[in-house]
Amino acid sequence: MNRIQKKIWMLASVVLIIMAVIWIALTYYNQITQNQYNEVLQRYLSMNEVTNTSQQVVTNLNNYLLEPSENHLDNLNKSKDKLNVAKGDIAKLRNSENEFALMNYMNLIDSLIETTDRSLMFYAESDAETSNKEFAEATRLSKYISEMTLTLIDTELKTYDVFYRGIIDQSAEFKKLGIWLMLLITLLLLVITYWFSLSITRPVQQLTRAANELSAGKFDKEIKVESNDEISFLAQTFNRMRININNLFQEIQQKAQLEHELQQSKLLLQESQLKNLQSQINPHFLFNTLNTLSKKAYLEGSEETSDLLVSVAGLLRYNLKWLDKSVTLQDEVMVIQQYMNIQKARFTDRLTLHLEMDQSCLDVQIPGLTLQPIIENAVIYAVEPREEGGQIWLRIIDDENMVRIEVEDDGPGIPENIRLQILDGELIETNSASTGIGFTNVVKRLRLFYSMENVMDIESGIGIGTKVVIRIPKTRGIEQHAQTLDR
Amino acid sequence: MRKAGLILLILICIFLSYFTFITAQKAFRSDWKLPAASTQKKDSFRIVLITQELDTPFWDKVGKGAEQQAQRNGASLEVWGSYGKNQDDFLKKLEIAIQSKVDGIIVQGLDTDRFKELTKVKAAFYGIPIITVGNDVPKAESLRKTYVGSNQHLAGMMIAKLMLSDMGQEGQVILLSDNQKEYYQEERLAGIKEVLQNFPNVKTVYTETPEAREQVIANTRDLLNQYPDADGFIAVNANIAGAMIQEIGRRGQVEPYFIYSFDDGSESLALLNQKKLDGVIEQSPEMMGSKSVDVMMQWLKNQTVPLDADGYLSEIRMIKAMDER
Repeated sequence: MNRIQKKIWMLASVVLIIMAVIWIALTYYNQITQNQYNEVLQRYLSMNEVTNTSQQVVTNLNNYLLEPSENHLDNLNKSKDKLNVAKGDIAKLRNSENEFALMNYMNLIDSLIETTDRSLMFYAESDAETSNKEFAEATRLSKYISEMTLTLIDTELKTYDVFYRGIIDQSAEFKKLGIWLMLLITLLLLVITYWFSLSITRPVQQLTRAANELSAGKFDKEIKVESNDEISFLAQTFNRMRININNLFQEIQQKAQLEHELQQSKLLLQESQLKNLQSQINPHFLFNTLNTLSKKAYLEGSEETSDLLVSVAGLLRYNLKWLDKSVTLQDEVMVIQQYMNIQKARFTDRLTLHLEMDQSCLDVQIPGLTLQPIIENAVIYAVEPREEGGQIWLRIIDDENMVRIEVEDDGPGIPENIRLQILDGELIETNSASTGIGFTNVVKRLRLFYSMENVMDIESGIGIGTKVVIRIPKTRGIEQHAQTLDR
Repeated sequence: MRKAGLILLILICIFLSYFTFITAQKAFRSDWKLPAASTQKKDSFRIVLITQELDTPFWDKVGKGAEQQAQRNGASLEVWGSYGKNQDDFLKKLEIAIQSKVDGIIVQGLDTDRFKELTKVKAAFYGIPIITVGNDVPKAESLRKTYVGSNQHLAGMMIAKLMLSDMGQEGQVILLSDNQKEYYQEERLAGIKEVLQNFPNVKTVYTETPEAREQVIANTRDLLNQYPDADGFIAVNANIAGAMIQEIGRRGQVEPYFIYSFDDGSESLALLNQKKLDGVIEQSPEMMGSKSVDVMMQWLKNQTVPLDADGYLSEIRMIKAMDER
């Protein structure tokens, strides 16, 4: 995991390699050119060397002839050797252009040496005159050699003219090449460096952005970094952290909501129980009394009154018994019938209840005392105030995997603001004419029970009537909710 | 914007790469033609043709013929020489050639002691065969192997006859020669005189003059003063013809004079074209060149030993001014 380091190394090596290649190429080429120059120079130098040594030979010969000492002879021999060496060098300069001249040149050198030897020989034989003649010839030869050297150099210059010009042109081109190469490499390096730095800084920027968002509390955006180095690793780690935080966050939120809901249902329950207690004074006493009253009415022949009292007693018992339990829809419907019996005794013909039930839906679980308060509400607002009375429809309809319960009346309707208040659970009931449990209470309990917000809906038109629609699922998903409520 | 920048960048890149590439190609190209390495023909003979008058039409032709023949024979030949009959230079070249131990020397004969010493002593010492071309020096004096060139005696006779046919058998003729007393001029003179002695009515005046232009002019002036009746001129040395005619032209018309010379002078053919010369003896320079090389090769290859000491004579013919053009 040392990718960034690797990248930097790579860039450095690329730059280094480019430099090295160029340096080597230039040095190599320079060397070649240098060699060419040297070779050229060498040609002239070796020709010049011949001139010099030939003159030296003549000088030394002269010295010896004037003053024949061992020393001078030694010098003469040395210079002769040098001349021979120079001749050997000259032999290497041969080419098709100067072959003839060079051959002559070398033979001239030979002649010089021979003449020198002859001069020495005659001198040794004390033939001074001939020796001097030979010396004069040697001098002449040396002069010829000098002249020929110049001629040869001249020829060389002509022969190699193109070559020399080529070298000059080439070095000029080389200067140009250097400039172009520098520009190109500068550009390439700039581009590479830019691209390279981007490959490091872009992920960092992305990470920075992600960190900013994270710090701003946006935990739901995925952190994505296009890179293959440490930054990417960092980003992955960061992303995992984000997901973890997000999960924890949601868990906490859920728990908090659960807590809240629990609190609410507890409060509602307490409220109901309180109301219950208030209304129950001595429920068993009241229940027994009602039963006694019923028996007495029956014995006195007032069967209707007796039935009514039984209904009241049943309702009372139901109220006491089922408030904090879930019951079946069947039970609820039964209670409603008992309740309606009581209310019928009160309103006689003014109240008509229409029941439409899909029998298959009656096993659905529903919190206790949920429908009854709604019917009661309908009776209170739609039937009681009107002299002509009113009608109430209770429909239980199979709606695919839901059960739809409709309570409709033909009363005066509810103003819009109140309707909304009811649905939001904000209405504070003041009317105490009910059996105790208010509409708002029902709404909240239903919502808690099914963990659904849209359990209940109210449709209402002023002067037309009100229709309360409850939609409950056939199977209750949240069993534990019931358990929570049981605690 | 970004895209445009990228395209621009790529374009610059391509541009730079292109120019770098072009310059690199130029910088690393090395197509200079160096002279080929020595062909090293060990057995190819080195022959030198040495003349006294380089860059004259006559000797250029000799050189050309010799070079062509050398090429045919696979020998390497160089033409050396002096300009304008510079004898010191000429002899120096000859000595260098001898000291350079060339295989053969073809030389324009020069009838001087130094020349003879070089050919007789030096060349013989190194065993270098010498062939004279154009101008001969007798074998006894130069130890030349042979001579290739015109029969100068015959040439003299021809020019005399040519003049006689133009001028008639009566008149005064001035023979102008240089004072070098070279063998070939002697030959020519002998030829001329041999013809003219049969015609007693033709008087000849023989004068020698140094070859320098001013002196030729001065001598010509003297001659014209001394012999105002002169009818004809023969420049035995073709090189003095130009200066001579110039002086004659200053005195008056050139046309009335019968003026003759040889073609081995630098101005001969030009003067003939201008009709200032009435006729020249034309030799065969190219043939001389090629023949001399041919003979030399025969000698060097031991094909013809000894060479004909009398020489290999090349063609000569007369050209009259009207024949030209």
